[in-house]
Amino acid sequence: MNFELPLSGVKVLDLTWHSAGPYCTRLLADYGADVIKIERPKFGDPSRDIPTFFSQEHAKETSSLFMFLNTQKRSLTLNLKDSKGVSILESLVRESDILVENFSPGVMESLGLGYEKLSKINPSLVFTSITNFGQTGPYKDWLGSDLVLYGMGGPMLNTGHPDKEPLQIAEYLPSFHVGSTAAAATSVSLWGAESKGIGDWLDINYFETLMGHIDRRSTALLNYQYNGVISTRPPIAGSPGSGVWPTSDGGYFFTTVLANRFSAMARMIGAEHLLDEPAWATPAARAVPERTDEFSAMVILWMLEHTKKEIRDEVESAGVYGGPINNIAELLKDHHFEERAFFQEIDHPLTGPLTYPGYNFRIRDEDGEKTLPNRTPSPLLGQHTDQILINELGMTNIAVEKLRDEGVI
Amino acid sequence: MIFPSNSGKNLPLEGIRILDFTVVWAGPFATQLLAEWGAEVIRVESTKFFPSTTRGTLARPSKELVQQGGIGGYPNNDPGDRPWNRAALFNVHARNKKSMTVDLNTDEGQEIFERLIRESDGLIENNAIATMERAGVSWEKVSKINPKFILVRMPAFGISGPYKSYRTFGSHMESVVGHYSLFGYPGETPEASGTSLFADPASGVSGALAFMAGLRQRKRTGKGLQIETSTAENFANQLGPHILKHSMDGKDGEYKGNRNSIYAPQGVYPCNEEDSWLSITIYNDSQWNKLCSVLDNSDLQNNVEYQTNEGRMRNHQFIDDQISRWTKEHNSVEAMNLLQDNGIPAGAILNERDAFLDPHLDEREYWEELTHPETGTFLYPGVLWKAALTPNELRRAAPRLGEDNEYVYKDLLKYNNEEYENFVKSGHIGMDYDESIQ
Repeated sequence: MNFELPLSGVKVLDLTWHSAGPYCTRLLADYGADVIKIERPKFGDPSRDIPTFFSQEHAKETSSLFMFLNTQKRSLTLNLKDSKGVSILESLVRESDILVENFSPGVMESLGLGYEKLSKINPSLVFTSITNFGQTGPYKDWLGSDLVLYGMGGPMLNTGHPDKEPLQIAEYLPSFHVGSTAAAATSVSLWGAESKGIGDWLDINYFETLMGHIDRRSTALLNYQYNGVISTRPPIAGSPGSGVWPTSDGGYFFTTVLANRFSAMARMIGAEHLLDEPAWATPAARAVPERTDEFSAMVILWMLEHTKKEIRDEVESAGVYGGPINNIAELLKDHHFEERAFFQEIDHPLTGPLTYPGYNFRIRDEDGEKTLPNRTPSPLLGQHTDQILINELGMTNIAVEKLRDEGVI
Repeated sequence: MIFPSNSGKNLPLEGIRILDFTVVWAGPFATQLLAEWGAEVIRVESTKFFPSTTRGTLARPSKELVQQGGIGGYPNNDPGDRPWNRAALFNVHARNKKSMTVDLNTDEGQEIFERLIRESDGLIENNAIATMERAGVSWEKVSKINPKFILVRMPAFGISGPYKSYRTFGSHMESVVGHYSLFGYPGETPEASGTSLFADPASGVSGALAFMAGLRQRKRTGKGLQIETSTAENFANQLGPHILKHSMDGKDGEYKGNRNSIYAPQGVYPCNEEDSWLSITIYNDSQWNKLCSVLDNSDLQNNVEYQTNEGRMRNHQFIDDQISRWTKEHNSVEAMNLLQDNGIPAGAILNERDAFLDPHLDEREYWEELTHPETGTFLYPGVLWKAALTPNELRRAAPRLGEDNEYVYKDLLKYNNEEYENFVKSGHIGMDYDESIQ
């Protein structure tokens, strides 16, 4: 049975590169949009050149970052600095619902592809711009990186060890979060554009997205006004039992901020006698820092006698909040994700089948759970150029060959 | 009633009504984004049940406990008479939303819930599976009552599978899907890394996207649907390049602190005030030369080896020490401005005070003021993105528990005054948590 995804029929012109923009269009493609990735002839998206590569010989096609970000997309090479390239893009704009770009502010205008111009060609176009700091303001031309922008906008001052420098989170997470926000924003405006026939120009940027996203940061921003508190990296074990603990085979992470979770943890480690003692009985009594240290000594002893799996089996009946510290190898073998058939094998012509994370959504309707399509692998550079120009824009083979000779495609 | 927007163009989601069953952070962030763009979001709450870590960590924390800190933040460290209306944890995201109360653990409550389902476009939740079973939230049920209903479920590990009942916060889901193996200080164990809570906002955005996809699917097919987006699977997606790398080379990541795996130098360097820091990423030789000039450091400037990225990578520690020598003499915000003016990617690790003083956010009118009847007037992070043709701003402060009961029961669900008073007596309607709840 042919199941059509929610964004079926939506055409996306993808002028993004590197990580945030491509994550946005990856999500739109997962939900069923037809994404045409516009790439610079011969060079392509710079993320094609970022290691790890499956094979050095085919470096441009087998970057792990690029392959992850560009499943389900088609690649069209186009030189946007050539007027013929611009006019092909304009023809595509006429047929498209969405354009996503993450150039620096002003670049699209300088290419003759600014919102004002493209909205005249297609008034219902949703034009999504992703930048470091936004289209306006004193920092608009500033340079950034995931680290720089997470540090400025995000809760980095709260991440890491109190006696060390603030710590970044895993590579690409800030970018993907911004890309994901751009996908949500784009889908909100698409809804408006499809209802009213009028598109919009969206200004999405790392700095403001991370400053307002829900994490300790947003709560701390309000608490600063409430109480003048400037937050920092909290103690590693912030309340009795909370934190990452060493187990006999790795680590396990618990959070016990809630009164009843402490009791549950005390029972789990065989320290239920504490609950009858005044020094431990109430949240206020336990908030004294010495309690954390005393409890830590008991927790560590118990933890070191158990494996992650044993603890995993205990916590549910004990009613404790926590999770094992896994690495990627352990994640890939985890029976939960296996049973949910989360991971997907995608076959790429130059790598063969590799394991990718699956869709981040599942759909059910009156007919039951839907089978989502197998994803297509990331496109080879310019793989779909002929298909799009000849079959979809109706250009002749000769015209396309001429463009190729001129370096436009 | 829809709160009027300040512009001529309507917000795109005006006319869409969403029942909000969300708790903690991930789910509330999804409904925050949708409410910002015009959806009417009604938090469906209960005076008989205090969901953990939502309207505060405890319903009635003592003043003593609040003053010890670490419990979420109340104005002037005073939990007040109704702490659940004052917690920073809740008020920061609940702007633009409404609140009603109903006891779903009664037949009467379930009848009220059925009317709500008929009058709404969808429901978003991120609770423990058992909690939703008790509340009577399931696709089978809602789709029978309203076949055009959109149910978005954001469970921790999914609504099926061996882990579906595990109790977790977002940070634990991060540890299960491998995040704590991917960030940390070199040579240290994961204990030293502290906590990442990034799975919550990541999941929230995906919940909003899922709802939008649901709306479009309903328009295409004329039928309702359930979309499930599990926080753990969503976060595993965001670790995709690391997973794909592992499937290529079979290797686990190693802790590299604040360094970049490709470009050097990159780091976080101490500045001249307590807990003040500057981050720098050098992408190319030109930025490196500019940095050397600003630092005016001949040891760096004259060393040919440092003229290539590979050379800088090999000598990263020495370079870090030299950069730190300079940053320790500088204020982090001033250093950021100086480096950026010279074309170098650098940023201060902004604390709360720096953030509110930031001239860029100020010029872009990022902070927005809202007045709340039980906390006062404060600045909030504004609408997360701007739309050129659709000016937008925050409309209303976080709702007090049950603040919109009259509107929901009478205007929306068409109960008459007598029925309303009966619901007050039978404990559905109220603005205070049951006294038994601590």
